[in-house]
Amino acid sequence: MNWLELFPVALFFISFFGLLIGKTVIKSIVYILLMQTSVILFWLMLGARHGTAPPIVQDAAYLANLDTMADPLPQALMLTAIIIGVSVIAINITMLNALFRKYHTADWKTLDAMAREQEDNDS
Amino acid sequence: MLLFLLILWILSAVLVLLEQRPYRIVIYFGIFSLITSVAYLFLGSPDVAMAEAGISAFTTIFFLVCMERYYAARRKVGAQADSETRANTVPVRKRFVRILPALLFSAGLLGLFIWFIPTGEISTHLRDQYLALFISDVGGENAATAIYLGYRLYDTLFEALILVIAVVAVSHMSWFDGTAMTGSGRRRAEIGHSSMAVFTMRIICPIILLFGAYLFFTVHLTAGGGFQGGLAVASFFICRYLIYDIYDIPIKKVIKMEELVFIGITIVAVLAIFLGVVEFAQIPPVIYLNTMNVLIGMKVACSFFILFYRYIAIERAS
Repeated sequence: MNWLELFPVALFFISFFGLLIGKTVIKSIVYILLMQTSVILFWLMLGARHGTAPPIVQDAAYLANLDTMADPLPQALMLTAIIIGVSVIAINITMLNALFRKYHTADWKTLDAMAREQEDNDS
Repeated sequence: MLLFLLILWILSAVLVLLEQRPYRIVIYFGIFSLITSVAYLFLGSPDVAMAEAGISAFTTIFFLVCMERYYAARRKVGAQADSETRANTVPVRKRFVRILPALLFSAGLLGLFIWFIPTGEISTHLRDQYLALFISDVGGENAATAIYLGYRLYDTLFEALILVIAVVAVSHMSWFDGTAMTGSGRRRAEIGHSSMAVFTMRIICPIILLFGAYLFFTVHLTAGGGFQGGLAVASFFICRYLIYDIYDIPIKKVIKMEELVFIGITIVAVLAIFLGVVEFAQIPPVIYLNTMNVLIGMKVACSFFILFYRYIAIERAS
């Protein structure tokens, strides 16, 4: 494999680590975004192993130099993934706003304590 | 060149990761998205690069408004003892011990990933087949478009469905009781204070709309397509809000229109690909590609328009 592909893999696990120790909800959402971007970059690098010319055909003689073109399949899949990712982020941020309205904080520990308190009050 | 870009990329990502102040996270995230988009371009995928550039602009706006509310909420509570004020009281060694399990866990996962990654030559059978046959099978000159509108149409339908669900969820969850749009005490867009910004936007607005139309109708020839064109058209409406401070468009009708367009996408897709009407009636594939892209673009434009209005204009005013 190409050793350049280790960059997105490394970033994916660094942001996974950040997701595990993140203190505020905002930073958790940013880590999710970073993980998603690194996955997309990894797929595109897999697709560009054999060549980095865009898969757009200019003339009929393109069949001769198929080997210089990037793989179009990961590109089509990643377009879909980008749109789905932004839907996920939009929903996350809307939920975060509801959280602000109700609890006035974005700190995981404070929120956890508040939720526990509420459970104790209910039971 | 790619190595240089990747080093810049990972540096900007580390900046995002290490920063604690929320406003700066947004700025560093913008830099990160720009570098990512250029890297996509160098990897031979202009479609994805354009989509990433457009999407990251929207994400930045979302995050900025989110930060604004975050600070407003903090001001309302006062100096509450949460993580931002508490961070420096814990000694360094104790903090390190606290994060050690997480560090070991993610490092172990990284090691496993690298250990199990396949090393041999990857098969290029599917790529060669798609590249050799897409002109006769689907049509057009852009292989990525041919794949997401022809071979893997299920994915596009699923993605359109997810976008509809996201819009419904956002408008269901956001705090809106229907009175904010007619209230007199609503806040104006702050950009109105700067006449230079308003002037620039007035010039840029029609160019953006023209660019969106260009992306709709040249999808079979060059990079671009429904998603990117839809983003451009949605940003035209957002500029309209920013300049003239109009948000008089009835959101419910736009949601209804988006659902209708989604039904239209499904019908066209089923007729054209699964029932083979394009081949049966000898319709040129360019017409199918353009119809599909205009429909997808309308849907994406409606979705982002609703997300923006719901999220910024209405919630902010209430």
